[in-house]
Amino acid sequence: MSVQLSDELVSLLHDRESIKLLATTDESGTPHVVAKDSIHISEDGTIHYLEHLESSRTNHNLVRAIWFDRRVSIVIIGTHQSFQIKGRPLEVHITGPLFQKHYAEVRHRLGDVDLSGVWVIEPLEVINENPEIRRQEEEKRRPFFRHLDRLAKPLKGI
Amino acid sequence: MSLALAGTLHAALSLNEIVAKYPDIPRLIIIKTDVQRRGIHYTERALSIVDPAIHQIRSPYLFGSRDGAIKPLPESLLLRDGTTIFVDPTPLEQNPYQVDLVEGRLALVDNGEVVEFVRLWEKPLYYDQKTSSGIPMSHIASARPQRLNIFQSSYCHFWAEQKGCRFCDIVNHNKQQKHELGVPVRLKPEDVSETIREALKEPGRFTNICLTAGSVLKGKDLFDHEVDYYIETLLAIGENFATKKFPSELISSAFNEKQLIRLYEQTGIMSYTSDLEVLNEEKFNWICPGKADTLGYNEWKKRLIRAVDIFGKGNVGTGLVGGVELAKPYGFGSENEALEATFEEAESLAVNGVTTFFIVWVPRPGSDFRGQQNPSLEYFVRLASGLHQIRAKYRLSIDFNDYRRCGNHPDTDLSRLL
Repeated sequence: MSVQLSDELVSLLHDRESIKLLATTDESGTPHVVAKDSIHISEDGTIHYLEHLESSRTNHNLVRAIWFDRRVSIVIIGTHQSFQIKGRPLEVHITGPLFQKHYAEVRHRLGDVDLSGVWVIEPLEVINENPEIRRQEEEKRRPFFRHLDRLAKPLKGI
Repeated sequence: MSLALAGTLHAALSLNEIVAKYPDIPRLIIIKTDVQRRGIHYTERALSIVDPAIHQIRSPYLFGSRDGAIKPLPESLLLRDGTTIFVDPTPLEQNPYQVDLVEGRLALVDNGEVVEFVRLWEKPLYYDQKTSSGIPMSHIASARPQRLNIFQSSYCHFWAEQKGCRFCDIVNHNKQQKHELGVPVRLKPEDVSETIREALKEPGRFTNICLTAGSVLKGKDLFDHEVDYYIETLLAIGENFATKKFPSELISSAFNEKQLIRLYEQTGIMSYTSDLEVLNEEKFNWICPGKADTLGYNEWKKRLIRAVDIFGKGNVGTGLVGGVELAKPYGFGSENEALEATFEEAESLAVNGVTTFFIVWVPRPGSDFRGQQNPSLEYFVRLASGLHQIRAKYRLSIDFNDYRRCGNHPDTDLSRLL
């Protein structure tokens, strides 16, 4: 089931200064993680990833994902925030108006480069990876998961 | 009940059963294969959203459709993984998939169930243009989503001797195209050059150019005139490129070494295909009498293998009309026997650097095999898987003829990850 992205996350996705990582898996399940600045959010709430290389590992893994219903993960890191989006590739545009729009745009921006496809990824789950928020969540939901010394009364005189 | 419908009804396993039985084969490729096998019918609802200003309407092609008619219907379909379905409109009594409008989107529908959503092909901009000589450019180059097809001559000399391939309707279809649409039987190089120049003005639209035509037997050496004509056309195309070589495929007769060297050295062509059509000498002799009489099965094979020295490993291929090896009455008696023979021969070619791929056989009304039934979906899935595995085993690239640069071969769709 698709999830709606928060305004905070949407603005982070729009921010060119954000670091964006895309994680996919190969045939054997081995992860492949790469930094990709060509990830952005579309008007309909799906995430678009522009793949420049037909033969890249990421592209092959995305093909496997759409063929065999596998998930991918996107991490977005800003100055003070970090999110992970779990998603699934819904479609890839290798032709047509959306593809040609991005083809022209990337060539205008980057020079003589090619574009293999525009991947459409449906967000299924969002995890706020801010360490403080994650710590508070865990302490609330899993109260056993802490070392006792953290709960001990401070010793007098120390 | 027609032969075709009877065959469909007794098919062994359904689409869903095949998907479950072959979990390593993508469901989308199995769907494509079955849609090509059974054909499609557009409902009125689906046709209501077709816009000829945006969508590509059926344009001239080398072969006819299985309804035998030339109608202004959508050219074809795309699946969401970028896979092309190259498929004909098919009479309803042959039990095709329906393309219907569901929740505002086009969908493949079978027995009332949505199988998959699809998109139509977009019309390239050059389709609205005419050449300086006044010919619609869509009659000069037929577009696929990422490929330009140049059918430079639609006459095949094997037909003149009543020895055309038995699955083929090229001459009958092209007479019909000429009569109904005014499509030229033979293209002029200057019209081709002008059309390619116009097509290249649309950024991101095309990745490959494919030339093909019927066989021309004339010349000092057999096929010399065919070679001359291809060189002339390729040189005209090449005028539009800054590099000598450009991504391209030639599908032609089996040329001798001297002819292949001329083609490779004088033009921008990058890959070479010559179709054996069926990988068994006895079936070849029956199904392709013209090819059998002029060169013969073994010489055809030898010429393909010699082409690897010129074009390079992974740049030479042979196409099969998958399923004709089971045609009645002289085809193989069982699907297992047909697959075994095909894989054995495909492997003998792969060892020598030649890759094999297939199209799904459609018994066309303008061919000798009209009214026959193509094999089961399971047969085609096993054929696609087997040919892909041979390609993987021998590390043969299929970049010149893959899901994007061609789109008409289920086995090369699988090789997208090689």
